[in-house]
Amino acid sequence: MKKRLLTLMMTAVLALSAVACTSAGVGNETVTDGTETTEAAETSGDATQETVEIDEGNSGSSDKILRTAASFAYASLDVHKEYYGWYTSIYGVSETLFKMDENMNAVPMLAEDAVADGSVWTITLKDGVAFSNGNPLTADMAVRNLQRLAEVNERFAYLADFEMTAVDDKTFTVDTGDVYPTLRNELASPEFGMMDLDATTDFDNDPICTGPFVISKFQPEGDVEVVRNENYWGGDVNLAGAVFYYMQEDDPKLLAMQSGEIDCYNSVSSAALAVYEQEPDKYNVVSIPGARLQFYILNENTLDDAVREAINLTVDKDKIAEYLSGTVSPAVGPFNTNAAYGKVTVPAVDTAKAKEILEADGYMLNADGFYEKDGERLTINIKYYAARSLDTIAILIQEQLKEVGIDSILGVEEDPDATYIATGDFDLALYCMIADKAGDPLYFIESTLMDGAYYDCGGFDDAHCEELIGELKYETDTVKRAELANEIIQIAIDDNAFGYVGLFNSTTVLRPGVSGFAETIPFDFYGIDADTTIE
Amino acid sequence: MIRNILKKIAEIVLILVILSFFVFLLLYIAPGDPAEKRLTSQGVAITKQVLDAERERLGLLKPFLVRYGEWLLSVIRGDFGISFKDDMPVAPKLYKGLLNTFFLAFTSLSVSLIVSFILGVSSALRKDSMLDHAVRIYSFIANSLPNFLISVLLMYFFCIKLNIFPVIASGNIQGLVMPVLCLSIPMTGRFIRQIRTEVLNQMNEDYVMGMKCRGVKKHYIALNIIRNSLGHIFTIVAIQIGTLMGGSVVIEAIFRWPGIGKLVMDSISARDYPVIMGFVLIMGTIYIVVNTLSDMLDKVLDPRIEKD
Repeated sequence: MKKRLLTLMMTAVLALSAVACTSAGVGNETVTDGTETTEAAETSGDATQETVEIDEGNSGSSDKILRTAASFAYASLDVHKEYYGWYTSIYGVSETLFKMDENMNAVPMLAEDAVADGSVWTITLKDGVAFSNGNPLTADMAVRNLQRLAEVNERFAYLADFEMTAVDDKTFTVDTGDVYPTLRNELASPEFGMMDLDATTDFDNDPICTGPFVISKFQPEGDVEVVRNENYWGGDVNLAGAVFYYMQEDDPKLLAMQSGEIDCYNSVSSAALAVYEQEPDKYNVVSIPGARLQFYILNENTLDDAVREAINLTVDKDKIAEYLSGTVSPAVGPFNTNAAYGKVTVPAVDTAKAKEILEADGYMLNADGFYEKDGERLTINIKYYAARSLDTIAILIQEQLKEVGIDSILGVEEDPDATYIATGDFDLALYCMIADKAGDPLYFIESTLMDGAYYDCGGFDDAHCEELIGELKYETDTVKRAELANEIIQIAIDDNAFGYVGLFNSTTVLRPGVSGFAETIPFDFYGIDADTTIE
Repeated sequence: MIRNILKKIAEIVLILVILSFFVFLLLYIAPGDPAEKRLTSQGVAITKQVLDAERERLGLLKPFLVRYGEWLLSVIRGDFGISFKDDMPVAPKLYKGLLNTFFLAFTSLSVSLIVSFILGVSSALRKDSMLDHAVRIYSFIANSLPNFLISVLLMYFFCIKLNIFPVIASGNIQGLVMPVLCLSIPMTGRFIRQIRTEVLNQMNEDYVMGMKCRGVKKHYIALNIIRNSLGHIFTIVAIQIGTLMGGSVVIEAIFRWPGIGKLVMDSISARDYPVIMGFVLIMGTIYIVVNTLSDMLDKVLDPRIEKD
């Protein structure tokens, strides 16, 4: 009996291990094309690597393969679904009608131009634009792409209300019903990437797009490999291909860069940044203010005007940015100051004035060094969540407030949207979001300042501001839009409804000779393109 | 015999139903919204209308009991549902993660057991020798080191300094060495101490004294000691299997090992209830089955347990 039982168990263990051995480490890879990248992946097993080269002749100027790390990986490559289009754009596979440039302008990509006449936009496609299979991108295909996006992505369901018509092969119109000035910018969102809907048979694993690269190997929620699109409509493609290793953790990325296994990556952590900056001959670090904003909401329902003003005069963004060692740039308003709609002013830090304001409002310092009024200590309820350095910022703000005599209690939540943002149970709520998603201020203003907006949870309400937002919605002149946006944001700043702390830097590290990894564009959804180069 | 087996199966099913109900309830009560997590995963703000539409689509507006009932019926039919995070079927995700984790866990456990057994028994048989001191110091240090620290130190040493292994490893044997080492080092620390203690306990038993008095050969006494220690060792291993199959999130994240631990952590962050529930059900089953097998094995190895 004993022997039989032991034999049975041993057999079961051996059988299970045999099954596991045959499958472990092998994801549901989809290999679609190209032996070149397989070679690159195999070579990556070597501890010391030089830039991978392949022998095959190509039309581009280089036969090199770029190796990089990606912090996110998804289960699908369907450009229109979820945020997958961000990654097909980073992989250089999908392209949009317009593209955001370094100055946050939507510039033509697949489209020649987009002209608005009232509520009707006329969009003209560039000549010669074709998918990687050689099929041309027609106006009808572009319209069907927009219609599919509306169907499969809840965030773009509003597109279903627009009337879209293909006028000829290269021109189509979009009737938005009301005047819709931001359509051109929205068309630059990566989810608007164009796919050959007729020829694509597997949207999740092998979408056929117009980009300079095509997918050669896709492992859902894992590594992705691309090879040069030999039929690229835009001309020569420098790289022969690229490998995107899925690496979530910061330390392995740093070690992989040091061991020469990757050529570049973005979203560099402050610890890694300090290492790279010590060896400038080995690493080229490019850091620019990005579009992701760290800010706080001051609750007008629980804090009076004087306290809010004192808080904003006390919080020192420069010191916070300094402490976060290069990962954040101090913000003035919610947008990059280079943008035309980023021209606002905030009072300089002045703790003496903050104290004066509190004292004028009837607060007095008690024996503990904290302000109190009517025997009640001034205590701020700070809510935050432990991501995007908000935990560090919360502690720094607490320290800075303490120095002027304002006491505070920190409260951490795992899910801010379901807790303090939804309930308004805070005095000061920290949050981080993309403030500028497509080179226009309306999205952020509508999300945080408009009456009833999800993130207008601190009681900010201003009739004039609401009126201006109404104007901004329909204003088509970009100069006037910027002026309106600046006026709206200035109202919120003057009302001390918010504190804009910092803009996350888009920090990229590259090996010398590597360039064109979207290191100068402040948006998260760009990566390699036809110009990406390894010298 | 058959009656006992049926009774055991009925017990397992009942435990799993109760477990799944309470986990479903806890997920329902806990703050967090899968729809909101999904829509804002890249930090883009959303409107209330979009959020409500997504909640409706995912079936989150239905009452608790309806949702639980639908999930349970679906599982009975063999369907673990669709992931809230990406609309992909849950079963293949769990299957792939479990197999990868099993492979890693089985290899680490085997390495740990072999090393620990040799060092633990040798250390006990040569109590207070230099070897014993060295082994005890090793087990103390290995047991104290956190996984993430071991991972980064080993990576730095083997990948950067010695240049033996790549930082970016794929699912081959070369890629297995580092994660196995990282899992095995703390595990050997625990196992060695427990094996040594158990062997020392056995050495103080009367039967050992009796064998020595009767002049039984040393190696035969040692074999008896080891045999009698096995029951306890198997219990420790059974507990460790459960822990290992739960996945080692840190190791999986650092070494890019697509196991169940990382999948579940990502699913918890995304409030991906179908994946979490599937995991709970499978892990519950594994725990119960492994512990039942461990009890059976104990009885085989030590018949006194049955008599008690």
